[in-house]
Amino acid sequence: MTSRLCCSPERRAPSTRQLLSLLGVAVFLLACVSPAAAGGDAPQWMRALVGVPLPPYDEKTDAVLLYSDTNVTVLSADKIRTHVREAYKILRPNGRHRGTAVVYINPQRKITSFHGWCIPTQGKDFEVKDKDAVEAAPNVQNGELVSDVKYKILRIPAPDPGNIVGYEYEVEEQPFFLQDSWEFQEADPVHESHYTLQLPPGWEYKASWLNYPEAKSRLSSNNQWEWTVGDVKGIRTEEEMPPIAGVAGRMLVSFFATGGSIKNGFADWRSMGSWYSKLVSGRTEASPPIKQEVGILAGSKTTALLKMQAIAAFVQHDIRYVAIELGIGGWQPHPAPEVYEHRYGDCKDKATLVRSMLSEIGIDSYHVVIYTERGAITPATPAHHGFNHAITAIKLPDGLSDPSLVATFQHPKWGKILFFDPTDELTPFGQIRGQLQANYGLLVTPDGGELVQLPQQPSAMNSVQRIARLTLEPGGRLKGDVDEVRLGDRAATERWRLRLVTKDADRIKPIESLLGSSLSSFRITHATVTNLQHTDQPFGFAYSFEADSYAKSAGNLLLVRPRVLGSKSSGILETKEPRKFPIEFDGPARDTDSFEIAIPPGYEVDDLPPPVDSDYSFASYHSKTEAKGNAIRYTRTFEVKELSVPVERAEELKKFYRIIASDERNTAVLKPVVAK
Amino acid sequence: MPARRTFLSVPAACSVPASGNAAAVIHPLNQQFFRRVPVSCLCKLAVVVSLAMWTCAIPQAWAGFQPVSPEELKITSEPLAPGAAAIILYRQVDRDDNGKTSHEDTYVRIKILTEEGRKYADVEIPFLKRSEDVVNIGARTIKPDGSIVNFDGKVFEKTIVKAKGVKYLAKTFTLPDVQVGGIIEYYYTDDFREFALFDSHWILSDELFTKRAQFSLKPYKSSFENPFRLRWTWQSLPPGAEPKEGPDHVVRMEARNIPAFQTEDFMPPANELKSRVDFIYEEDFTGLEPDQFWKRIGKKRNGALEDFVGKRKAMEEAVAQIVSPNDPPEVKLRKIYDRVQKIRNTTYELRKTEQEEKRAKEKTASNVEEIWKRGYGDGMQLTWLYLALARAAGFEAYGCWVSDRRNYFFFPQTMQSEKLNANVVLVRLNGKDLYFDPGAAFTPYGLLTWSETGTKGLRLDKDGGTWIQTTLPASSDSAIARNAKLKLSDTGDLEGKLTITYTGLEAMYRRLENRNADETERKKFLEEQIKEMVPVASEVDLTNKPDWSSTEPPLVAEFDIKIPGWASNAGKRAMVPVGIFTAAEKRVFEHADRVHPVYFEYPYSKTDDVTIELPPGWHVSSVPNPQNQDGHVVVYKFKVEDLNGTLHVTRTLSFDVLILEQKYYTALRKFFQVVRTGDDEQIVLQPGTASALN
Repeated sequence: MTSRLCCSPERRAPSTRQLLSLLGVAVFLLACVSPAAAGGDAPQWMRALVGVPLPPYDEKTDAVLLYSDTNVTVLSADKIRTHVREAYKILRPNGRHRGTAVVYINPQRKITSFHGWCIPTQGKDFEVKDKDAVEAAPNVQNGELVSDVKYKILRIPAPDPGNIVGYEYEVEEQPFFLQDSWEFQEADPVHESHYTLQLPPGWEYKASWLNYPEAKSRLSSNNQWEWTVGDVKGIRTEEEMPPIAGVAGRMLVSFFATGGSIKNGFADWRSMGSWYSKLVSGRTEASPPIKQEVGILAGSKTTALLKMQAIAAFVQHDIRYVAIELGIGGWQPHPAPEVYEHRYGDCKDKATLVRSMLSEIGIDSYHVVIYTERGAITPATPAHHGFNHAITAIKLPDGLSDPSLVATFQHPKWGKILFFDPTDELTPFGQIRGQLQANYGLLVTPDGGELVQLPQQPSAMNSVQRIARLTLEPGGRLKGDVDEVRLGDRAATERWRLRLVTKDADRIKPIESLLGSSLSSFRITHATVTNLQHTDQPFGFAYSFEADSYAKSAGNLLLVRPRVLGSKSSGILETKEPRKFPIEFDGPARDTDSFEIAIPPGYEVDDLPPPVDSDYSFASYHSKTEAKGNAIRYTRTFEVKELSVPVERAEELKKFYRIIASDERNTAVLKPVVAK
Repeated sequence: MPARRTFLSVPAACSVPASGNAAAVIHPLNQQFFRRVPVSCLCKLAVVVSLAMWTCAIPQAWAGFQPVSPEELKITSEPLAPGAAAIILYRQVDRDDNGKTSHEDTYVRIKILTEEGRKYADVEIPFLKRSEDVVNIGARTIKPDGSIVNFDGKVFEKTIVKAKGVKYLAKTFTLPDVQVGGIIEYYYTDDFREFALFDSHWILSDELFTKRAQFSLKPYKSSFENPFRLRWTWQSLPPGAEPKEGPDHVVRMEARNIPAFQTEDFMPPANELKSRVDFIYEEDFTGLEPDQFWKRIGKKRNGALEDFVGKRKAMEEAVAQIVSPNDPPEVKLRKIYDRVQKIRNTTYELRKTEQEEKRAKEKTASNVEEIWKRGYGDGMQLTWLYLALARAAGFEAYGCWVSDRRNYFFFPQTMQSEKLNANVVLVRLNGKDLYFDPGAAFTPYGLLTWSETGTKGLRLDKDGGTWIQTTLPASSDSAIARNAKLKLSDTGDLEGKLTITYTGLEAMYRRLENRNADETERKKFLEEQIKEMVPVASEVDLTNKPDWSSTEPPLVAEFDIKIPGWASNAGKRAMVPVGIFTAAEKRVFEHADRVHPVYFEYPYSKTDDVTIELPPGWHVSSVPNPQNQDGHVVVYKFKVEDLNGTLHVTRTLSFDVLILEQKYYTALRKFFQVVRTGDDEQIVLQPGTASALN
């Protein structure tokens, strides 16, 4: 399994493109080395696939997985052998990437054989073997210092349209837990896929199906079971869709030894919590230097809240994010004293240290393991290791209540819990970022664990409040001042952007980009940033600008777009194909704009665009343009109320975005005042 | 035919240490390349070694850390790099090319100024196992109070890529207790493989501002058996910095206040902008002045070329199959060009695996006759075939090596022959020099691929050659012409037919990019391009089958297009902006500050001819005044006409410029602001009913 707890919020996992880039390097390197072996015939299991009748696929289907067979043999609690055969028929040039077979390995997961073949439509078969494979490390970056995960990559010749490519490999694994995931649904459609499980005598299994109707198992021989699925649709990615783990069909299967085992198959979340609790056990104990640091940080603070805030800020900011993940280190945190001494660690290390320090001021806390995107884990998800991040749940002292503590929920046993992500340096203590809100995480407690839903914060806590006081000159120039107050993720995004700026002169660029998206011509005459570092305070931009020819002349009329800045519309649903998956928002949000434009002397309002009121359960948009004395006043409110829009309501969202787009382009008309 | 043909010979995955490494986090595949000494040279060097009986065995470890300066600890910002997250206080690179225990010592001291700057405490030093090793690593953190935390953690050896004995690895470590205000420093030694010499590059420009840097290089001592001599060139060095050879023959340089390197849109190749010194070991051509150097290079390349093309009889027979004796000269040239472009060009095929290559049994041609007979060749060979055929047809034609300006600019005085890396053919016709490169797929007759245009090159002859400058095409040669016939609905939607004609290099790059794609992918490609041209969401459907396989005809694509809600509401009026396909100009040069010159790949133009039929009962209240901004090298104009219920909009934007100095950036930015403002001008319409868009 590749899943690990190492995620930093601004640091994304290597993308497919990065992986392909890495593969490109690997393949290039392979081309530089000694010649490959001569080809051999494809095995019979592949030959049998030639001419297999297939249903019609549309012209966008790159390839079809003709046959997949995963054979898992549990030899003991310490050894699992997995044998895989897969063959694709390439349908389009874009499907050529299926000719690159990739198997991940690590010190606990060794590859014992690896072969690949191609059956071309004409000519002899091709064959490649283990020794032709390239080994490459994932492109870890942004604080991911080292990992023991590697890829074995085999480039199969001639993966051209019409040809069949296939590969076969076997891996032996010393598992950390007795669980496997059969991920039978992928980007390309699947014609036929088999999974076979061989357990030692007396062992049992539990299988759970996700995002796909259950296929019944068949006992094929002594303690061996088989599952088969066929004609599985491919998953085409869409913008702002749920994570793949939340939509792709798969079967999770847990194994249980006779009489129990020290290894866990995660029969339920509680047992997984127990497993993780044991991993963390003893690692939160404070060393004398930690105790001393807590004394310095909290000693002078008079309330529990102030003490918690001081500790939280220390771990967020003074402990550098560095991930060193070797073996079980992908799951198990380093001991808190080590993290403190080095002043670095990954997400689980930070969670461990913050727990250690909180304990020193008498506050209990727990690890929470979670997936960084909402939707991968739901209440319907069986217990498994599908997490990639760790945060902290803090048991708030009885009676402690403060408006800054928002990300809380009342646990029936542990009382009021506050969720805190010490890896997220830009979200203040008391809040969590949008993708963690309403997400599900495993709360790891002394008596095991349970899947809990994190709270959803009020939409007003993630907002841009923009107020502009502007003056329009007769020649069409618009000038004035803008104040922006940003909260929540809206603030964190700008803080992050500015954090990456490496020279003072570039600090203006985020504002330039904002203005550039709305104004054809502008000049910033003054700009300041407030509370860049103080994440517990609202972030602010204040700037003044001049925009030549903002108002357009039309005869003796002046045409003015009341919506001066910012865009709330989106074109993500303007696609030819109907939407397949729900639309996921990052988090709740509520943005407001208020633009007052003083009209030039000698002009008066002739015509104004109509107000817009669009209200859906998932989001709303209200805008209004009014004439107020010698000014035009434009106000609008955009609010995201629900975090997910089901696919059957995608058309409503599309209409909603079109309404906004239309409003954003509407125009007010000014005319010369006629002397009476 | 440009440098891409030499891709396989550039060891991109085989970077080895060079002085450019010394950033806190070192990326393996940028900045560096090296020259591997040919095997024959290695053998010679090995002989020398055995005779000389060198006694030195292993490289010396770095002497240690430099003392901590209280002044450095007090630094909170650098006036010359305001806002920097970190700065390099000191960097030292010492190279010893003794041939046996060649090595390079690197020492870096970095001041951390912000939280973000702490990332420089993660250090990765890539190396190619067979060519070098990274040894003697030492590191420490100096806390803001001056106390020192020595690095005693683990140095990890990470496999980046490993295959069949080739290992591309990295030594990686992270420093402990790194705080804002603190200093980190580390050193290491690149221990090079015995009996090999590598070119060396001091890349001064780093991601971080460098306060002071010292470099030295002890060159390989040339001998009769191994006559390698070192020469060096430099560019953009800070004032006062210049590499100098001392009496001990060691080349040294000290530099101060080197700005952090910044990446910008539309900038010239980074290699040309960075402050750097390049060292080159040469076996031949040592001690020559540039003129002599190029004369020898020219003669050598001309000899090789004549060997390759010198099949007169076979070429005359071939030409006889292509042209008629009565064809006018220009027609002959065109026919030959078309014929050569029809020959299978292996450069643009998908890279085969070794098994596929072996099975195909295709041999590398040793002369043009073989190419002609076999019916395939790579891009470079096909261009030379064109030369041979043109000569056989009686034309005065020359082979030329020009400098591909994709990654470097070319200056003869630096004597870097590898930068003459693209071959073209010069034909003298009616007193005019015409340049051709039929080996560059989809390049129309009379044009070169963009990176070969407007660049310097050597026209080869037996005397060594003559410098030439390839032509730069006019903006009208590479055009995007959009012709749309649209209808506005009374709900404000714009819908109709769009025809786009791509010519010259605009057609070439699209054909090239999609040469291995299928119809579905090409359709998607073209439709996405249109969607990107329209500043709001649109629905686009390609309706014809463009000619992807030809070179000469323009690439013509026809679409059904719908732009929902294009007309905006202004109460009882409706507005339509002048520019429809103008999104590409919306966000360019939006920042006021500019560091580097502005660089365009090639001159281009865009012309629009759009008619919009208004809904029945609607009429035009006003149209914007026409615009004509003619800045000689940049032109923008539009005109809107009311043709009795139909709007006619014409727009032209053209660029006849390649590179603009930074001082002209403000004027360029202003020009684009004028373009955007013009595109946003509104046509005022009077709907038939009071508020038709509701």
